[in-house]
Amino acid sequence: MKKYTLIISEKPDAANRIAVALDDEGKTTRETDNDVPFFAAKNGDKEIIVASALGHLYTVAGTKKGEWDYPVFDYQWAPRWMTEKGASKNRIWLKVLSKLAKNAEEFVDACDYDIEGSIIGYSILKYACGDKEKTAKRMKYSTLTREELRKSFTNLLPHLDFALIEAGLARHEVDWLYGINLSRALTLAAKSSGMYATLSAGRVQGPTLKYLEIREKNIQTFVPTPFWSITAKISIDDHIFDFEYEKKVIETKSETSAIAIACKVKEGQIVNIDVEEFQQKPPVPFDLGALQSEAYSLFKYTPMRTSKIAQHLYVNTLISYPRTSSQKLPPAIGYSTILRKLSKSTLYEKIAQKLLAQPTLKPNEGIKFDPAHPAIYPTGNLPERALDASEKNIYDLIVRRFFAVFGEPALKQRIKVSVSINQHLFFMMGYRTLKECWIEYYKPYVHSKDISLPLLFEGQKVAVKKINLKDNFTKPPSRYNPRSLLKKMEKEEIGTKATRAATIQTLYDRKYLEGGQNMTVTDLGFEVTEVLRNYCPSVVSSEMTRKLENEMEQIQLKQETKQNVLANTTKILKTVTLTLKQKQSEIGGQLGQKIKQIHLNRQSIGNCPKCQTGKLVIIRSKKTDKRFVGCTNFFEGKCSTSFPLPQTGTIKPLALPCKTCGYPVIKVLINTKQPWNLCLNPSCSAKEQKKQ
Amino acid sequence: MNCKICIRPVKEKDYCSLHLKAYQNICEKFEAWNKATEIFWIDYLTNISKNSLTGEWAKEVAKHLIEDERRNVKEK
Repeated sequence: MKKYTLIISEKPDAANRIAVALDDEGKTTRETDNDVPFFAAKNGDKEIIVASALGHLYTVAGTKKGEWDYPVFDYQWAPRWMTEKGASKNRIWLKVLSKLAKNAEEFVDACDYDIEGSIIGYSILKYACGDKEKTAKRMKYSTLTREELRKSFTNLLPHLDFALIEAGLARHEVDWLYGINLSRALTLAAKSSGMYATLSAGRVQGPTLKYLEIREKNIQTFVPTPFWSITAKISIDDHIFDFEYEKKVIETKSETSAIAIACKVKEGQIVNIDVEEFQQKPPVPFDLGALQSEAYSLFKYTPMRTSKIAQHLYVNTLISYPRTSSQKLPPAIGYSTILRKLSKSTLYEKIAQKLLAQPTLKPNEGIKFDPAHPAIYPTGNLPERALDASEKNIYDLIVRRFFAVFGEPALKQRIKVSVSINQHLFFMMGYRTLKECWIEYYKPYVHSKDISLPLLFEGQKVAVKKINLKDNFTKPPSRYNPRSLLKKMEKEEIGTKATRAATIQTLYDRKYLEGGQNMTVTDLGFEVTEVLRNYCPSVVSSEMTRKLENEMEQIQLKQETKQNVLANTTKILKTVTLTLKQKQSEIGGQLGQKIKQIHLNRQSIGNCPKCQTGKLVIIRSKKTDKRFVGCTNFFEGKCSTSFPLPQTGTIKPLALPCKTCGYPVIKVLINTKQPWNLCLNPSCSAKEQKKQ
Repeated sequence: MNCKICIRPVKEKDYCSLHLKAYQNICEKFEAWNKATEIFWIDYLTNISKNSLTGEWAKEVAKHLIEDERRNVKEK
């Protein structure tokens, strides 16, 4: 068999794209071995096979088997199929990759050029291909377009980016050490109190949960205070305008009433008109965080969803690599070429032509820079298939943002009109757009709230139509939503652009969080944070996490070593795990109580209608082995409420109480019968009526 | 010893750390309420316990304080 160049990409669809792009005729042969696809191509005199990973095929795993305890400090990189349930497909995948490696004479890593992609490629080349990471070359590209992929293949980097790989390995190993030790400590502590629940904590998870917990505490302990505000409805040239009193917040009721009485006159006078022109700069290009944030604000897509959609668009060569933190668009991406390609779409034709007619194209860039990739931009390729609604939204947003960054600053006017009513000043602020410029390109994603004003002059008399007093209360801080939490994590520099959304998801999966748009910390979330804060404050400390993030960035810059960072982590974790071990039963007691309560709430059918404080749960009698509903206060000798139950079938509590008597209602499901709803109250009048 | 309101351990003034913070907020904000509306303590507690913006833990403490006040009046 002829020797070939083996290219490793991150996913099968990317492998297909690469093979088609590199093949001189733009064709590829899809082959399979045990259902694992790979793609053949011919580039000049080179035979090429493009195979792919399936995300991470290797992971960090403990070296000791069968022992579920902590602390754990011995680990190795191992195939995922050996350590994770449900990853058995990976075993065959790796076998095929090893087989393909045997006949290869040259190896190229074409995984995404970021930390995760670099580790995926590195681990396959090292473990599955047999230490080929040392000689492999690297393809670097930011779009999956034919031109860029061919250019990247012609100009292969001579070796892998080992500094990036070291930083990535360090991140995975540090996170594994934190995750395994803290999660086991919490789970075992709960177990020691007789309760079982999968609990977890991690390096980024801890501080993130703490932000949420602090916010929740502020909301739950919030006490509003009253204040008042006054507005005036003023008529100018038959148009009614709302004017605000000069003091936005009036702290006492007596002062508010006094102002209102004084302003009960029919006329006021314009005493001042301030007009100021200013420029509104265009937005900066999207990095992943900004795209996620904008998509949440416009379409209410979670960060995770936006990330997935963007990844689809990238694989379909419609946009550049989305997992970037750059806000820069270098000229090398070819601004005019992209605009010319986009102008072929009827939707974008006008704007693209307008921009192409500009003497120069200079994007308004932000300060964030990513050495591996530019900001997110459209490749100029138009969709080959009809995009679904969410893909269409994200694609259009990216295209229009790309247009907007090349626009001139908009020219706006700020107008402040002050009116005196019996010596009290009221004012109105309004804006006018004089020149739209970039705003025109970013429609419909930008709204300018312009007001239209009649001709005004100082000294002009105006009619006071109404004085409105409003009773207000100070408001509690808002709950975090996926967008604001992501922003907070970015601001605090914890986690990475690729992992933040997944960290938030883990908090939901562990039942530490509930609610979608209004994230609420559960009782369990509170308890876990309290345990971590009391017994190992460093784990929930942003400073500690940020310090570690910085150290890992230093590895990438070759100013720190992976060994040092891991040695420091081990040192910290040794102290933390020692404390957790010593206080295991104390922590267990604290967590166990909450877990018990959660289990109880899950089993509960409703509140006891007699004592009002207990919960009704299904109990099986030890004497008769029959099931019935009893009150939890029975065990404390406080309440003896009980209700009979059907002895066969499944019982499901219903959320709404009985409409007739207010007692809890259950659904009874028996295989052979139609399910029916049953009110627990034996003397419910609805039952009596049925009998009659 | 458990908190007057929940099953958490007492931190100070017979409240757990969470209800203590709520209690401190209630005491602290009374000054602003009194200045704004010349309100009495018991009316203030009733007001905040019914206000939808008041946090759940603060409401629990307020209701508890109302009960205390009523008990004190009866005893007198």
